[in-house]
Amino acid sequence: MGTERAARGARSSGPGEAGAIAAQALLPLMAWLSPSYPVGAFAYSHGLEWAVEAGDVRDEATLSAWLADLVARGAGRNDAILFAAAYRAAQAGDRPALEEINALALALAPSAELYLETAQQGRSFQDATLAAWPAAGLDALSGDVAYPVAVARAAAAHGLPLDQAAPAYVFGFVQNLVSAAVRLAPIGQTTGTRVLSALAPIVAEVAARALAQTLDDLGSATFRADLGSLRHETQYTRLFRS
Amino acid sequence: MYASAWPSDAGGGAVAAGPVRQRAVGRALIAATGPAGATRPVRIAEGGSLRLRLPRTGAGWLEAVLINTAGGTACGDAYSIAARAQAGAHLVLTTPAAEKVYRSDGATATVDAELTLEAGSVLEWMPQETILYDAARLSRRFRVEMAGDCSLTMVEAVAFGRAAHGERMASGLLNDRWTIRRDGRLIYADALRLEGMIGDDLARPAIGGGAGAVATIVHVSPDAGGRLEGLRGLLETCSCECGASAWNGLIVARFAADGIGPLRRDLARVLSGFRGAALPRVWMS
Repeated sequence: MGTERAARGARSSGPGEAGAIAAQALLPLMAWLSPSYPVGAFAYSHGLEWAVEAGDVRDEATLSAWLADLVARGAGRNDAILFAAAYRAAQAGDRPALEEINALALALAPSAELYLETAQQGRSFQDATLAAWPAAGLDALSGDVAYPVAVARAAAAHGLPLDQAAPAYVFGFVQNLVSAAVRLAPIGQTTGTRVLSALAPIVAEVAARALAQTLDDLGSATFRADLGSLRHETQYTRLFRS
Repeated sequence: MYASAWPSDAGGGAVAAGPVRQRAVGRALIAATGPAGATRPVRIAEGGSLRLRLPRTGAGWLEAVLINTAGGTACGDAYSIAARAQAGAHLVLTTPAAEKVYRSDGATATVDAELTLEAGSVLEWMPQETILYDAARLSRRFRVEMAGDCSLTMVEAVAFGRAAHGERMASGLLNDRWTIRRDGRLIYADALRLEGMIGDDLARPAIGGGAGAVATIVHVSPDAGGRLEGLRGLLETCSCECGASAWNGLIVARFAADGIGPLRRDLARVLSGFRGAALPRVWMS
């Protein structure tokens, strides 16, 4: 029976054109947003290291709550909105709009460390992608590049669907933070995996909503997480650059 | 020159269903000229419920006190403020007391502040705190255009509920947007959006951690980076949770406190230390 189902599946989506397109979309996203893509994501905790130090994140429940707020009320939703806007500008070949979105994404960084987090990963992503995944119309932006803008441009240049690329980007952000939390807090691998799985629907919802939003919808409620990223700069012992 | 200072949408927005409420509209405009030590007003315009007072301070700057004669902000009120420091001028803007934003029956009050700093000028935006009553709805826009050699300091403090009455804001709206352009380039943007059950949200660690009042200071100047350590020294004396960071020629400091009392005390000390001069007298009353 299992074989039968597999055979049916293979007939409907295997060698067919739709299946090939779906795989073509999925594979670059998996590569770009995997921890092994050379953007140095492992060095950034988006202020989570301070939240652990301050005792705000100490177990599964507090980690889930902190990350859910970052995704739905903070950087996650803003980055999703910026991602969608940058994707559309890139797709339309509107360079001035793209540059303005990039400037806004960089200007929204609330601290030196979070500026570095987005600009350094954005630059590294752009370098790696231009070298390994070139595409027509994909060139280097001058100056600093915000990470969501760098990924969105690459996704647009490769014709990957926005409704898959945007949630994948936000999920990559969360995945990196869960991995940071496992290194920082008394949170085991299994717990981390469970937190990640529980956040998946929130990521999907935030990204789906962002597709219908504009730059006017940008807004963050995570005042104290931003404050924490300021305090992280003077934290005594630090593993992370943010 | 100031034609663009008043966006046509000021005072716009949906009017809540029901009896039409008399909404306050206020406009204030000031331009300052002359070098620090001899800065004087060159243009003043007032409209609606906003007034400007220019107390003699004996200090080197021109102090402009923005007064809302409506006695607070109610739903649907719309205020516009434009301030310009001409080349080399030193302009300080403040308010005579805390600004109260009352409970709204649906409409959102708006504040639109546009600050312009011409070459070599200093502008300090130092209003006293805004107190949001429960169910208040406030949307504000702060837009700055500055030349690269100017010095800008902005502070905004917000209290969520009337602490003196034991009130905490349970619900409402606060939407604050800041944009700062230096030599035409966007260098700083902030969009704070608290909407709905604000009281419950503020209890959450990533949002407010139980704070009843928050404040942000932004400073932009060519020597901003070099002033971070001095500012951090001042923050060490604070009782409330606070931190500061500097990058790209700007400094940001944020504060979160149980209530506005301790926040005010910390802010007053930090600000006067940071600017190296006493705060406007109205702050001390």
